[in-house]
Amino acid sequence: MQQHDEPTERVSRRGFLRGAGASLAAGGVVGAIQSDKAGTATVEPALQNAADVVALSFVLNGKPVAVKVRTGFTLLETLRDHLDHTGAKLVCDYGACGACTVLLDGVAVNSCLVLAVECQGRKVETIEGLAVDGKLHPVQEAFIAEDARQCGFCTPGMIMSCKSLLDRKAAPTHQETAEALAGNICRCGTYFNIQRAVDRAAKAKAGGR
Amino acid sequence: MKNFDWITPATAKEAVEACTAGRTFMGGGTDLVTLMKAGLVEPAGLVSLSRVTGLDAIAEDGEGLMLGARVTLAALAENTAVARRAPAVADSARNTATPLVRNRATVGGNLCQRPRCWYFRHPDYKCSKKGGDTCYAIEGENKYHAIFENTTCNIVHPSNLGPAFMAHDAELVILGPKGERKLSIHEFWVRPEEDMKTEIALDAGELITRVDLKPMPARTGSAFEEVNEKQSFDWGLVAAAVRLTLDGDKAADVRIILGAVAPVPLRHAEAEKALTGRVPDEKAALAAAEKAVEGATPLRDNHYKIAMLKACVKNAILMAAARARKAGG
Repeated sequence: MQQHDEPTERVSRRGFLRGAGASLAAGGVVGAIQSDKAGTATVEPALQNAADVVALSFVLNGKPVAVKVRTGFTLLETLRDHLDHTGAKLVCDYGACGACTVLLDGVAVNSCLVLAVECQGRKVETIEGLAVDGKLHPVQEAFIAEDARQCGFCTPGMIMSCKSLLDRKAAPTHQETAEALAGNICRCGTYFNIQRAVDRAAKAKAGGR
Repeated sequence: MKNFDWITPATAKEAVEACTAGRTFMGGGTDLVTLMKAGLVEPAGLVSLSRVTGLDAIAEDGEGLMLGARVTLAALAENTAVARRAPAVADSARNTATPLVRNRATVGGNLCQRPRCWYFRHPDYKCSKKGGDTCYAIEGENKYHAIFENTTCNIVHPSNLGPAFMAHDAELVILGPKGERKLSIHEFWVRPEEDMKTEIALDAGELITRVDLKPMPARTGSAFEEVNEKQSFDWGLVAAAVRLTLDGDKAADVRIILGAVAPVPLRHAEAEKALTGRVPDEKAALAAAEKAVEGATPLRDNHYKIAMLKACVKNAILMAAARARKAGG
């Protein structure tokens, strides 16, 4: 899990990129503020025209966050560029691929098609919120056990759609799984493994193995 | 995307009052956000329907079904009353886009979405629909374009619900600055020859609040069929919505509507006539389907749509007939 309040010596690829450009450095982490520090967000240059800025607060993976956004921001860019939650991926940017899948009030959506301002007061869940106290979610465990990915780019979105499915149906049929995942595309073609991972996660959640 | 005022009214009346010049309504945003990203629309303000009360209900009574404009396609596809009372509508909702999109896309938005023509969607092409004087699809890449009524503009209307609503004679409840009005779905579509800039008969500031569907007569069935290149997230290559009532064992009160083949969904009177009074079996269905594709004017790359549409219409007729036989009454 990424921590915003504890600078570390470790150089991450993302941190490196952030430090590499002045504009990125200025506009990197705006929010991810704990509730007791709400309102202390720095404002990136593009946000300094007060008329364009909206103070937004919502619950991200169970924790309240406050962030200042432009009305023209999508939820996806807000998560990735302003809250440092880069699990949801930007791929097609028009709802065709599912790499940006997150849950909004428990419902799986393309975060590239959701406006950030729509999320005021609502609950957003991303891949970063699935593991609890370092223990992976059963769907994550199952993806590892079944080797349900190759390049991994679709994986965060795929896992969120699988979680949403298993939240609604304890033991989905293969047909139901295929239909539920129809909005998530894997170019590596790992669908059979994903199918097995859903089966395995369903069993694990039911208590068996 | 450019910035905009963000307005979240609590009632439909407030929403209409807030939707002044330069602003536009936003339902699920699945089309609007992509149009804004491409710079095709740059609204000064978005009037969100997300908090408007009463727009997300599916109600059923003796008068039929009432679908709130903000009902999602996912809710529509899962609703048992819709499946029972307007099967073509349930079919079409289920067939649209992906589960992720259906969780956001709405009934009203599906009717108001803009065409998917890649020349229209491309910011660099000033086609006739965007105030230019050329339809680039005529000479250009036209695999997905119209095969009927395609002399001036070659878009196909992308709405799946449109043809299904036409099969059920839907009535739209519209709220605007001048008050409420009702409009038959058959009167809703605007051809490029009438007005190149729009596809629908909504005036500025008008909002669809509800879609009403009357009950079907006894022994009636309906169906919606679509053919896609791949199973999910594809706009139909061809589509057909059919409704018919059985009089004895013969088809009566037939509606055949073609989707994804013309700038508006097309109700096809000749095809309907070909099926009326006949037992809706494979042979009669094929005869009607052949009638439906007569007079097509395909472009260089979309001749394939003719055979595909024929099969699609035939299958929709057979499914509607099978459902009519099962229906009570």
